[in-house]
Amino acid sequence: MIQLEHVWKTYPPNYRALRDINLEIDQGEFVYLVGASGAGKSTFLRLLFRAEEPSAGDIRVDGQSLAKLKSRGVAALRRKIGLVFQEFKLLANLTVVDNVALAAQVTGASQKESRSKAVNLLRELGLNDRHDAKPLALSGGEQQRVAIARALINDPILVLADEPTGNLDAEVADETMRLFAKIRAQGATIILATHDLGLVNRYGTRVISLRRGELADDLSRGESGSSAQ
Amino acid sequence: MKLSLLGFVLRRVGNSLHQLLWSHVLTTVTMAVALFVFGAFLLLQINLQQLLKGWGEQIQITAYLIKELSAADAENLRQRLGSLPDVAAIRYTSPAQAWRDFQSALGTQSGLLEGLPRDLLPASFEITLKPTYRDEPVVEDFTERLRKENAIASVEYPKEWVQRLSLIVLAVQWAKWIFGGLMFLATFIIVGSTVKLALVARRDEFEIMQLVGASEELIQAPFVIEGMIQGLTGAVLSVAALWGAFVLVQGEMPTLAAFLAPRSAPQFLDEWNILLVLAIGLLLGAAGSLFSLRRFIQTWKASASAS
Repeated sequence: MIQLEHVWKTYPPNYRALRDINLEIDQGEFVYLVGASGAGKSTFLRLLFRAEEPSAGDIRVDGQSLAKLKSRGVAALRRKIGLVFQEFKLLANLTVVDNVALAAQVTGASQKESRSKAVNLLRELGLNDRHDAKPLALSGGEQQRVAIARALINDPILVLADEPTGNLDAEVADETMRLFAKIRAQGATIILATHDLGLVNRYGTRVISLRRGELADDLSRGESGSSAQ
Repeated sequence: MKLSLLGFVLRRVGNSLHQLLWSHVLTTVTMAVALFVFGAFLLLQINLQQLLKGWGEQIQITAYLIKELSAADAENLRQRLGSLPDVAAIRYTSPAQAWRDFQSALGTQSGLLEGLPRDLLPASFEITLKPTYRDEPVVEDFTERLRKENAIASVEYPKEWVQRLSLIVLAVQWAKWIFGGLMFLATFIIVGSTVKLALVARRDEFEIMQLVGASEELIQAPFVIEGMIQGLTGAVLSVAALWGAFVLVQGEMPTLAAFLAPRSAPQFLDEWNILLVLAIGLLLGAAGSLFSLRRFIQTWKASASAS
């Protein structure tokens, strides 16, 4: 599903955010990406949805080399990926249902179809009665569920979440993690960056640890040692 | 583009026009002013050309014949010159007729001519050229050919007037593009600034649309369409304002209008010129938007990479 070969990312003048990363992630895996602030977690995710390009090395997602993608290819790639961020990234002037439907509309789905799909997703995520509310009228947990609904509306093969529980209290964070587990059970690959090791211990299946841009550990649940590739 | 995407783009255009109404109004009015200036010069140019054409019809070349020329030879020459492709009309004035014309021109002072020989004035031809041969270089060439005729002593035509009027038309033509161009440049910058304002106001939307997989064309299309709407609306307003000013000038200054165009009423822009103004408005709006978008995207990508 995802292959990284000798991937480096250097920012000017000479800051190495990622150093020679090699790994593979299979379809349907739930991967935690852990590490301290500045370890390179966000850079790792940004490379996967082509917000940035590696300074060296090759990244393949769903069999496609990201280096060869032009503007349209990048847009097509992102339609296959659901993105969830710590700061939700919802549009304040749109209603909850329109925020979710937006992601379907850009793929060419009609307004009616997109809204209907959004309404169903919001119902599944327990936001049945908040369709017409504006995001700022929602709690942090509700906003994150709206963001997750938006990430799921195009049936993504891959979900990338960057600190999705960073702004949530423990109870809501647990609820959100259960939601991700449910999404994974439906067949999507999930890569979730977090520095909350408590969450990792409770829900982790595979944990990739970054330290100063290097792959420090790659552990699967039940394994006791490092298996970095 | 799929119909659903077109609907999506048009809804975004509608939202933007609603949310940033005054910014759009300001840009539209600016475009209308710029296109009004251009249109006013165009209108002036058209009417001056009309004026030049009208004056050209009144401009005659006078060829004075040598004294020794017999009436029969004069008639032969008249027929030969009359058959030239340049010539619309040729009229022979005998020395006796010239004398009578001179007398009547002097009026009560005609007594001054007492005692002078009646064949003092030479016979002449008054030649009117066809409209297509009335450009100043063509007239000059024709008079040169006349001067080479042995039977013709001298040739006169109001060369200075033709030259001056041609120069005025040329100046207006250039002024139209210079003043119009300056206004267009200002408009281009203002349209770009409006788009930039809209982009800054909607940068979250811009970012989120990129993240959810909207193509660049889909993200940019509403901004270009907004620019085109502004340009077209500005152009329609400018044509309407020009028409108003034209009617006002005609109504308020009939003497000036009659002096400028004695043989025909002043003309308004024809359908091709109106289309030209509309097309310039449309292109100006689209180009201003695209230019600003490209710059914004470049800056955006650079800052996204740096963050």
